[in-house]
Formats: sequence, C-alpha cells, structure tokens
Amino acid sequence: MTLTSIQLEVLWNRLLSVANEQQTTLIRTAFSTIVRESLDLACAIFDTRGLMIAQSLTGTPGHINPMATGAIHLLNAYPPETLSPGDVLVTNDPWLTAGQVNDFTVLTPVFRKEGEQDKIVAYFSNCCHSPDVGGRILSAEANEVFEEGLQVPITKLFNAGEPNEELFKIIRANVRTPDATVGDLYAQASSNAVGAQSLLQMMDEFGLDTIDPLAEEIISRSESAMRLGISAIPNGRYENETWSDGFEEPLCIKVAVTVEGDEIEIDFAGSSPQSARGINVVLNYTMGYASFAIKAAISPDVPHNEGAFRPVNITAPEGCILNCKRPAAVASRHLVGHFLPSAIFGALSQAIPDRVIAGSADPIWMSIWRANWPQSQEPEPTPEQQPGEKQEPQPQPRQSNLTLFSLGGTGARPALDGLNATGFPSGVGGVPTEVAETQAPIIQQHRQLRIDSGGPGKFRGGLGQNISVSHIGTDQWSVSGMVDRTKFAADGLHGGQPGSLGEFKLDGETAKPKTVLWMEPESVIDMNLPGGGGYGNPFERDPEKVLNDVINQYVSIKQAKSQYGVVIRFGGKPNDLVRLPDDFSIDTEATQSLRESQERS
Amino acid sequence: MLDWLDQNTQYESEIKIANTQVGRRSLNPPEQRFRVGVDIGGTFTDLIVVDQTTGDFAIGKVLTTPDDPSAAVRTVLVQTLERFGVDIAEIKHIIHGTTLVTNAMIERKGAKTALLTTAGFRDSIEIGRESRYDLYDLMLQQPEPLVPRHLRFDVRQRTRADGSSHHALDTEYVKRLATELADKKIEAIAVCFLHSFTNPADEREAKALIQSVAPDLRVSISSDVVPEIREFERASTTIANVYVQALVDRYLGKLTQQLDLLGFKGGFYLMLSSGGIATVETAIEFPVRLLESGPAAGAIAATAYGVACGRRDLISFDMGGTTAKICVVDDGQPMIAHEFEVDRVYRFKKGSGLTIKLPVIELIEIGTGGGSIARVDSMGLLKVGPDSAGADPGPACYRSGGSNPTVTDANLVLGYLDPNYFLGGAMALDQEASRQSIQQHIAGPLGLSVQQAAWGIHQIANENMANAARVHALERGRDPRRFPLLAFGGGGPVQAYRIAVSLGSPELIVPLGAGVMSTVGFLSAPIAFDFVRSSTARLSEIDWDHVNSMLGEMETQGATMLAQSGIEKKQIKHRRSVDMRFVGQGYQLAIELPSGTLSHDSVESLQSAFAAVYRRLYQRAGPPVEIEATNWRVVSSGPKPDLRLNVAGSAANSNSSKQAGDAIKGTRQAYFPETDGYTQTNVYDRYLMKPGMSFSGPAIIEERESTVILGPDSQSHIDEHYNLVVTLPAGLR
Repeated sequence: MTLTSIQLEVLWNRLLSVANEQQTTLIRTAFSTIVRESLDLACAIFDTRGLMIAQSLTGTPGHINPMATGAIHLLNAYPPETLSPGDVLVTNDPWLTAGQVNDFTVLTPVFRKEGEQDKIVAYFSNCCHSPDVGGRILSAEANEVFEEGLQVPITKLFNAGEPNEELFKIIRANVRTPDATVGDLYAQASSNAVGAQSLLQMMDEFGLDTIDPLAEEIISRSESAMRLGISAIPNGRYENETWSDGFEEPLCIKVAVTVEGDEIEIDFAGSSPQSARGINVVLNYTMGYASFAIKAAISPDVPHNEGAFRPVNITAPEGCILNCKRPAAVASRHLVGHFLPSAIFGALSQAIPDRVIAGSADPIWMSIWRANWPQSQEPEPTPEQQPGEKQEPQPQPRQSNLTLFSLGGTGARPALDGLNATGFPSGVGGVPTEVAETQAPIIQQHRQLRIDSGGPGKFRGGLGQNISVSHIGTDQWSVSGMVDRTKFAADGLHGGQPGSLGEFKLDGETAKPKTVLWMEPESVIDMNLPGGGGYGNPFERDPEKVLNDVINQYVSIKQAKSQYGVVIRFGGKPNDLVRLPDDFSIDTEATQSLRESQERS
Repeated sequence: MLDWLDQNTQYESEIKIANTQVGRRSLNPPEQRFRVGVDIGGTFTDLIVVDQTTGDFAIGKVLTTPDDPSAAVRTVLVQTLERFGVDIAEIKHIIHGTTLVTNAMIERKGAKTALLTTAGFRDSIEIGRESRYDLYDLMLQQPEPLVPRHLRFDVRQRTRADGSSHHALDTEYVKRLATELADKKIEAIAVCFLHSFTNPADEREAKALIQSVAPDLRVSISSDVVPEIREFERASTTIANVYVQALVDRYLGKLTQQLDLLGFKGGFYLMLSSGGIATVETAIEFPVRLLESGPAAGAIAATAYGVACGRRDLISFDMGGTTAKICVVDDGQPMIAHEFEVDRVYRFKKGSGLTIKLPVIELIEIGTGGGSIARVDSMGLLKVGPDSAGADPGPACYRSGGSNPTVTDANLVLGYLDPNYFLGGAMALDQEASRQSIQQHIAGPLGLSVQQAAWGIHQIANENMANAARVHALERGRDPRRFPLLAFGGGGPVQAYRIAVSLGSPELIVPLGAGVMSTVGFLSAPIAFDFVRSSTARLSEIDWDHVNSMLGEMETQGATMLAQSGIEKKQIKHRRSVDMRFVGQGYQLAIELPSGTLSHDSVESLQSAFAAVYRRLYQRAGPPVEIEATNWRVVSSGPKPDLRLNVAGSAANSNSSKQAGDAIKGTRQAYFPETDGYTQTNVYDRYLMKPGMSFSGPAIIEERESTVILGPDSQSHIDEHYNLVVTLPAGLR
C-alpha cells in the first residue's frame, strides 16, 4: 500500500477520532472520580507489532508513554497465537507499566475475519488509576512494593468474552472499594471494545486488510518531524539540577541534555540513589515524563506515537531514584517523576529560551481521605443480588475512601503569564467540591486562588490555591497527603523569581506529608499549593498588568511594590466591600524612581 | 460592503419573482392562518412566512442591523408580508431565533455582572477543572470568565451535600453588598452557592434580600437556571444567564412593542437551544437558553424535511462560510446534549470556551467552511482550517485582499462553482486568483498540479467534516452508514456528495432552497417545556409514590404553561424519562419511561432497557453492580405543527417536462478523479427540476444560494417534495 499525503491525512485523522471515542467511553463508564472527573487516564491504538500509533486527545504523560512501552511487555507474555477474540489482558506491574500498583493497564487485541480465520489487526490499550488496590492507603510510607497493594501480573481479565471470575474475586476481596475498582476495570474493557469496533468499521470502509503500513508511515513521518525539530536546536550539552522534598531527606534530580544533530540524549546520572520509601520511580515512568518534555518543547504539533520516542534516548543509572530496582516501594513515584519536565526545561532554556516555560508547581497534590459516614448518612447495605451476579453481594463499606487531586500554578511562558491552579506536567484535573462532598463526609472550607503565590516576572507565574478541609462526624478520620515543593520552590527563568512554596498543615501546624495522618473529628487540614515560577525580570513587567493583578487580588499592593517596583495607591473607601478598578491607580513617579533605583543596583 | 447591499436587493427581487402567484390569496377573509419564522444571523436576517392552509410560502432576507437588531426584523417582516399580500393581523405565530446572546458573550457586551458564592469558592469559575485541554501545547490560553475576580464575592453560608445547613446565610452582609454593588453601577448579580441544587433555600433568600435593597439589579440564582451538580459548570451558566438578561429584555421588549404597533395580534415565541419554543417571559427569565438557537433551527428543519420524506433517521449537515454544523437525527428527533461551550478562544479547541450546562440540540461545530484556509504544515501534510478568511478579506477569488487559498478557491478551480453565478450572479469570482494562490501555497510546495492540489483541499475539507460527523454519530452509538445525509446551508451542497461517500451514507438528500432552509425549523417545532427533578435511589429502593407525584407535578406544571400559550388540553403530550447509571458512575443514560403509574413492578423493565442501551453504546455488559436512578425528566409539548410547504408553487412553472434533460441550462468543465481530470459536465437549473426526473452523474445543479456537485457514479432523482435524492451505490460505501 502506498499512501499519498492526502490519503494519509484522512486515515490518520480517523485513527485519532477512534482513539477519542475510546477515551469518551472510558470517562462515561468509569466509576471512580479519579477517572471520570480528574481524567487520570490514557487511551491509545497499537499496530500488530505493539507500536503505539495514535493516542486520545487528553490523558496524562505518566500513563501514555509507559503504556506505550508496556504494550510490548504484555505481548511478550501473551504472544498473538495465545490470544482469541474476546480476550482482554490486564496488569498493574509497576516496572512493566505506569510505575505504581494503582495504575491498571488493560489491553485488547482486535480480531478481524480473514477468510475462515480471525486475525489480529491491532491492539487497543488504556491505563487509569484505580480508586483502591488494597495494601496500605496510598502514601509514601511503604518500604517494599508488597505493602502497597495487590499486584496483578499480566493475566487475562476477560477470556473469550467471559469475565475471569477467579481474578475478580481476588480483586474484590483485596480492595476497599470493590464495586468501583471492578467497575473501572469493566469500563476499561468497554473503552477498548468501542475503539476496536470503530477501527474495524474504518478498515471495512477503506478496504484495508492491515493497518501496519499505515502505522509505519505515521510513525516514520512523526519521527522525521521530531528529528527536524531537534535539528533546529544548537548542538551542545545542557545541564540542570533540581530538588524534591523527598521523604526523609531532599532528593536531587540531575539532568544532562545532549543535543547532537537530530538526536537528543537525556541522562539522569548523578541523581539521588533510590529511597527506602515509596517515592521511587521506575525507568518506564522516567522515560514517560522525559520524552513528554522534549515533545512539548520541540514539536507540540506532531502527533504523539512511537516515532516521537525514537530520536530521544533516555538513561538513568540502575538503582537511582529514577530507575529503581524491585522490590522498591513506588506508590508515590509521581512526586518525583513530575519534576522531570521542569528540570529538562531548565536545561533546554540555555538553548531555546523561547520554547520552554519556567518551573511549575509540578507534582500534582494527591490526597486520600478516609472517614466514616455519620450514622444518619451512611449508605444502606446492598439489599439484594443483581440478576446474573455470580458472587456473594458485598456489604457496602461504612467507610468512605476518596482520592482528590489538586493543582498549583504553572510556570510563566516567554510571552504569557502562567496558568492559575492548572496541572502541569500531569494532564490530570481536580474534582468538583460538590462531587467530593457527595463521595465522603468532608467539608471543603475554602478552595481559592492564593494571592502572591505566582513567581514574579515580566510574565507572572500561575497562582497556587488554598484548600481547607474539615469533616462531618464524631469518629477519627485520616488523610494521606502526597504533596511536594514544600521545601524547594518552582524556579523562575531569565530573571523571573520562584513561585511560593507549598504548605501542608494540620490544625495550623506544619504536618508530615506522604504519610497517613489520623486526625481528631474536628481537625482541619490546610493545603496551600505552590505557585509557578516567573519568566523575565519582574521590574520589566508592564505596570498596567501589575495594576490589573492588584485590582483582582492576584498580587498584593505590597508585593507589587517590593517585587515589581510598581507603586499602587488605593483611593477608595477602606471599609467598602466593593473595590472597583477606578479605586486603584499607579503612582507613576514613585514607580519610576523605584524601578530606576533597582536598575542602578 | 456596499456590494452586498446591492446584491441583497437583487436577491430579494428574484425571490419575489419566484413567488408571483401567491398574491391572490389575500382575497380570502382575514383569519390567523399564517406563521412566520425569523432568524437573526451574523450577516443576514432571514424570514419565512407560510400559509398554513395551502402551504404556500415566501422568503425574505435583509442585512442584519447589529446596533438595533429589531430594525432588520421589522424591515424584513414588512417587506415580505407586503410582497406576499398578507396583512399582519392574519399572522397566528411568529417564532424567532437570534445570535444576539451568542454574540453578546463573544463580544463581551453583556451587563456588568457580580458573582456571589459560598465563602471560599469565588474562584470556582476560574479554577474550573484544573486541567489543560491540550497536553503538549505549552502556550495554550484559558477562557476569561465573564466576571473578573474583583466582582466575585464570598458570602458566609454553607449547605452540606445532603442539603442540611452547615452555616446560616449572613443576611446583613448580602444586603450591604447588594446596596454597594447597586451604588457602584453594577447591573447584574449571579448567585451560586454550593449544593443549592439539593437545597435552594439560601439562594432564594439571597435573591429576595438583594431585590429588597436593590430592586433594579438583575439577579439569577443557580438553582433556578441549572439545578445540577458541579459548581463550576453551574456558576458559569448562571453568570451567562444574568450577563445577557438586560440585553435580551430590552431587545425583546422593543420588538414586541414594534410588532404591536404594526398590528400583530398573534403569539410571539422564541426558539431555545434545546429546539423547544417558549414564551417571551421564559426567554427573558432564562435568556441563556437562547444560545445557539439559530443552528438548532437548522437541525430542526432538517428533521422536519426528513420526516416529511420518510427519513426519520438522518445526519444533518449545514455548512456556511466559516463553520459546518452536524447533527444526528434519530427516529425523528435531533439528539440533545446537556453541556456545551461558547466562545472558544484558542484555535477552536474544545476546552477553550465558556462552559454552559443546559440542554442543547447536540450539534458538532467544525471550523471548516467555504472560507477555510488551506496550508502545508511542518509534516508536509495538507491542512484545511480552522483559520478562515471569513467574508473580509475572503477567499482569494473575491479579490478583496485575501491571498490565502480557501475551500471556495479550490471549488472554483475544480469547476464546482460558476464564477458568474455566485449568489445568483450577484458577485463575480476570479478563477485566476484562486489558481495562483493554490499554486503558490499548496501545489508548488507539495509538487502537485494545481488541480491535484485543489482536489486535495476539497477532499480534506470533506474528510474533516466526515470525521467529525462519524465520531459524533458513533459517540452516540449510531452507525453513520445507516443514516442518509441531508445537506443544506450556503456551502453544504457543494461538499455533500463526497462526505456522503466517505460516511458510507445510503443516500444524500438536498432540499430545494437549501441555502435558506434554517428558517423552516422555527415553524416545525412544537411549543415545549422541559422539567427535571433530582431524586437518586437504587432501583430496588425507589419510593414510587414520590416518583409518581414528582412526575405528576411536572406534568401539571407543563400542562399549565402550555395552556397559557393557548394550547388545547387534549393536544398536550408528556414525554417522561429517567437518567440511570451503575451506582458509583458519574454519567447517566436516559431511559424512556412508560406512561401511567409506576411501581416496583416497573423495575424489571427499566433494568432491561438500561442494560440494552448500555450494551449497545459501550459494546459490553456493565459490571455486577447495582443500578440507580438519578434525574426524572418530563418534556411537555403541544402538537407538532403540521407544516406543509408548497414547494411546487415556489419553483418556476414554465417547465412541464419530466425529462431531466430539459432542465439542463448548459455545461462546463469540472474535475472528477473518477474520470481522471476535467470532464464536460451538465449544469442543471434547480428551478426547472420536477418530481420524477432522474439523471446520472457527473452533474452540477445550481440554485441561487447553493450548488450541488454529484460524482460520475451517482444516480439521482427529484422526489415528490422537490428534494434532490442521490442514491449512493454500495460500491462507493
């Protein structure tokens, strides 16, 4: 099959729309808020060799890229000749897929009739974060992966269309949220099935017996475009180093980006050794975020697939924090892995300052809340069995188990401010307060943007947010706060200042993150999320922009003066509730002299 | 723009000629037997008036008057009625749709609006869902909320998820704030408290307090506008509602007054986003529901044409200058969605617009139209849109300063458009300018001939639209290969044949007058009101007495409102449905409810209906988990108007032949890949085509507002409704 560029465009777009359909199905059928509200997921199509051809529109790099490498592992365990129509494979092996036991990867072969035979023409895979897999409640406290929950080796989830009931029984018995954990696995299988059906329709329509030549063309074109993008970067070795809070002590992430011709090497040698606690990153996950960073900086428009990975070589010494060995504990690997793009951008900013952004809040803050429903609000136990249900009904847990994601600010861009309370590098979003409070007996006391938290710069870093959580009921309750950047702020770029540090507090006192905290019924947790770093010298920021930031309370009058050299006067009535733009003005003279004196110093 | 005015005049006179025979009927005794549909679009205000007894109709078109949109409505109404020989007192209904609300939001021309939220949550509209809508684009931009942060206020009050009060409302603060806001010339307030969809008491009290101290402030509360979970979406929608309210109130007030002065005695209604129609009072209370009412009318028109010719399932395809709109019509009903976006700020991308959570006719809007620009990207691939040359500077062939090649330029080079018969000849196009532009920007860089490049542009535009249509249909579990394609709008018929082939459609239908078909939609919708009540329970635990009484109350409310709109009791219908899901899921499926009293015995049939829909949509049975019901819905509607259009009367009558050959007005060279190049192709005059005529492709069929292009392998005929029906051979599908 030879393809003209026009035919290729047509088929390529169709594949993308098939992947989006796969994702829509996953969201609409998922149970956990993690998948359906926060979109902690990825969906993709693979050719018969297991190479990723197309992925859905959104998703998160920590799932997409590790899933791409993971497919090969699944197919090594179950080669095509061992698969039949209706089979669905599953695993949550952290080293083979997305780096923590909560992430289940589900892979479905697509069979097509060829004469009398059913032949595999492609694979669909998706990966998402399970609400619970047993073991400890997700934290960084474990010393070994065995403590972190049930490990499901590569195995069949469905066998010729029939659920693998033995496996489902084991899963149900091991997890705190049996319906939601199992429900999400069903959703993952549906998602692939819907994608498969559409792919078959597409093949019928275009008379394709195979998509492999199409895949090859897509992959090689993406690879060329990626190489072209890399060639535009000056050759050289660019280094950077950044720090994470770590568990007991801070961790160093050291990166060297070497550009030579149309290839890039990223090496993490010199980074801290692996930790005794659950913040270790498997190489699969390291590669995921490192290759994401390169793609976003160099060729964001090139569709993401196997071709985009080829010119980028990523290495980390075995046994370091970014390439940990079994049986290291890995549950909170994102707290370290999410630092990689900002670390790489810091290095690349020496070569392509206009294509990268300042440091962001980076690690997504993930908190797991366990609380008992007050008696009056306790959901009733399941009263009767559903038709067709094979196992014994499970009593509904009295306990609620809720996972929340919260996002800080992103780094400022070369010509734009950073984004407030928006995930980067992760593609995961938050959970509406109303949904969270329906899922667990908690009360979010506030959830608002955090004034002055964006790193000052000619372009300001995105603001973090303040979230305060209390609880309804008279029992003790617990939180596990997977948070970071409480010791090392997001860096600014080219004269931009760092964003604010994060704060994690129990009843007003700094609390220990990354562990399970048991709390009194009336306790309050405060999560003040970090801001993004600034870009460029804040004293060069347009005073009108600073004024607007003050009017809208993104920046205080005090910070406007101290960090931006802009003196703003409030001329309204001090007791008024409503303060309009006209109440504020720039003191031009004072501003000029302040800015000049800064320039002199 | 003077050109357009001249064209417009000419355009109208041509329609007049086409309707010369209709003047006679003014001899009949005056009675209210005419219905009028009128649509204010971005460029034109379109109107249709139909005689209910005969089906005779006339069409009017004038330029929209943005400063005072009612002026254009008045002008086109007076002109068309005069031409048609109808007295305004003979009009029974006027049904109206407008882009006013959409434009006010896009241009940020609404009221100065403040937002009151539960203390600590004033940023919910800015924090949104906290994710980026494009994973790799580091420079993406988020939509700016309609209310800036300095006008968002924390109000001490708190309701829990179960509806109980956690903190009482600070009434003094609300009064003080409202007084100050009014003093400082703020015009409108949106109130959105957490969990108000479960317990609206605090929002209602806040509204009463605001109105007691500041009666001139407009207030919308979220529990009235959209009583559904998720605070960001609810607040965003409530703000939009109050933001445009004064504008809509003023506009509708003025229009009503003018209609009164003209002597209009009938009922005046508005079309809603959901395709229902409502009274002026409802429209003023919930103006946000008028968003997208124009495109909705197009989808409804397509539905009506489809039903009239026995196609209850179809895909409607409406293409204009900058965008194309696609809608799936299923069993005589356009599909409905419960959320959409307005004003996408960044490359038309999903996620970059303001979120509106309301029922809307589910259209997918794609940035592909006649003005879409073609270019070669960094991968050496040909791309079309979403950038558009618009009307100004327009495609290269307009010679108004546009140098980029567009879809229209490609169509001109391919011979699909007649440079001398664009808009009926009102505007001359420059074929050579198109050719040069395509050579320079596309053919040269890709090493193709100009016609190959033009064909590529045409094909990629089609594929963009076909892909969107396919995903749209499939996402709703509909197989596009089963659905005829119904094409209309100024640009739809030129592209439709190839799109139908790409979708695998069994047939393509192009109605007569496709270029102005949308207005018909206003006249084919019943007056309808929809209601929803939340009451979540597992199927086994539903309190059926409560459900029956909720459904009963909604039906009574609907019946009362319909009676007020002058609908007879026996003509009122109620459609009832329930949203169902597995316990723990976040999205529901709507399941139709049987009529009559429901009871525990209904559980089994609901369960199996849910299982069947679930399996069809998601390809697999769901997990062994209990099922719950969440929202109970009633749509109360009056009779579907019996709309007949006497298209025979509006087509020219001079031709009595049944031979398609007699409708040929000439030939020209047009490009078809099947014949490997340009072929001398018959050009048919649509106005000479009569029922029963049949012909094979390739063919070009021209009418004033649109041109149909049919490939060499097509077989077509004109059906009894004057629709052009193209049968697509299975080999092409």
